Amino acid sequence: MKTLLKTGIITLLTFATFILSTTNVNAQTKSETDKTYIKIEVDGLSCPFCAYGLEKKLKQAGAKDVLIQLKEGEATMSVSKDQQPTEDELQKIVKDAGFTPKEITFSTTPFKMKKDEK
Amino acid sequence: MNRLIIILIGVLATTSVFAQGPPIFTETPILLGLDGGGMRTFGRFIVKENATVYVQPLAIPYNLGSKTQIGIAGRFININPNNFESVSGFGDLTFFLKQQLYQKDGKGKTFRIIAKLDQVFPTGKTSSMPSIGSDSWQSLLSLVTGYVTLKYGIYGQVGYNITSNGLPDNLIYNAAFVYPLLPQKYPPNQLNLNIGINGNFFTDVNSNTILASGGIQWINSKTALFEAGLQIPIVEEVPEAQKTNYVLTFGTRILIF
Repeated sequence: MKTLLKTGIITLLTFATFILSTTNVNAQTKSETDKTYIKIEVDGLSCPFCAYGLEKKLKQAGAKDVLIQLKEGEATMSVSKDQQPTEDELQKIVKDAGFTPKEITFSTTPFKMKKDEK
Repeated sequence: MNRLIIILIGVLATTSVFAQGPPIFTETPILLGLDGGGMRTFGRFIVKENATVYVQPLAIPYNLGSKTQIGIAGRFININPNNFESVSGFGDLTFFLKQQLYQKDGKGKTFRIIAKLDQVFPTGKTSSMPSIGSDSWQSLLSLVTGYVTLKYGIYGQVGYNITSNGLPDNLIYNAAFVYPLLPQKYPPNQLNLNIGINGNFFTDVNSNTILASGGIQWINSKTALFEAGLQIPIVEEVPEAQKTNYVLTFGTRILIF
């Protein structure tokens, strides 16, 4: 009887864990599909202190998770799909921040980052 | 001669309100794309043979777009002569305008040239002896250039200061080399070594002064930097009693918003 009870509890816990993890994965997938990931190649990023101006302007335009990599000359970010800026708008933001925009890439999955720049 | 010191204070106090790890004693051609919200202040001790001068300027810039910046700088000055009572008060106000003329960017590097106008208004106190204000309208027009990479920065400035009320005009010439001692990354964690020269040639009296400059800059946040520097005269064509022993500078630059 004791063994049966123990088995039942373990089964229930396993089932509950499975349900919860499935729900979480679904939520995460939904959240990720709502986002667009953007990578902008930026020329002129020669100084860490002045990169703040670029980060500030990108955030003002609704960008989240802004990451600036000086060595690569890149800025990556995510935006919600309903607020996705156009390429022209992104170029203007970079120019207004005092830099020169180059290639802009839109993606449905996050970009891989180099560890040492995080 | 005291008014000559005040001229130098007036034209140099607005130097590089803020930038990346900009030179401490030379202007930078990089105009940050920030819509205002920055300020710079520092304390500067000018230790001379016959007096010690303390200057505390406050400069506030505002960007009118990515290529134009205006700003205003005021300063508090204390002069402590060796054999007289010390005097203090607010010095002249300076309005400045920067206009970018050229920009060439590459991956992790930039070369820029700007024109800069510093207009000094003689608002400083002149009733004291020695005088706190210059009692002279001054217009300094400069060309500022810089080649900045992630490995180093080279900066230069040449300007001509037109004065009034009997003061000699002066030509200023500054050069600086900035070397980051830590790998450059963002958010910043920077320690920058600054070396350079700061020259001033009073054209009407053919008097030249060149200071050798060195300093260190520490940046460990996106919005603030701290710096300290020392300047020592290597050429100083002034009477012995008025010679400068050294100039010490401690300061901060802050982006508020």
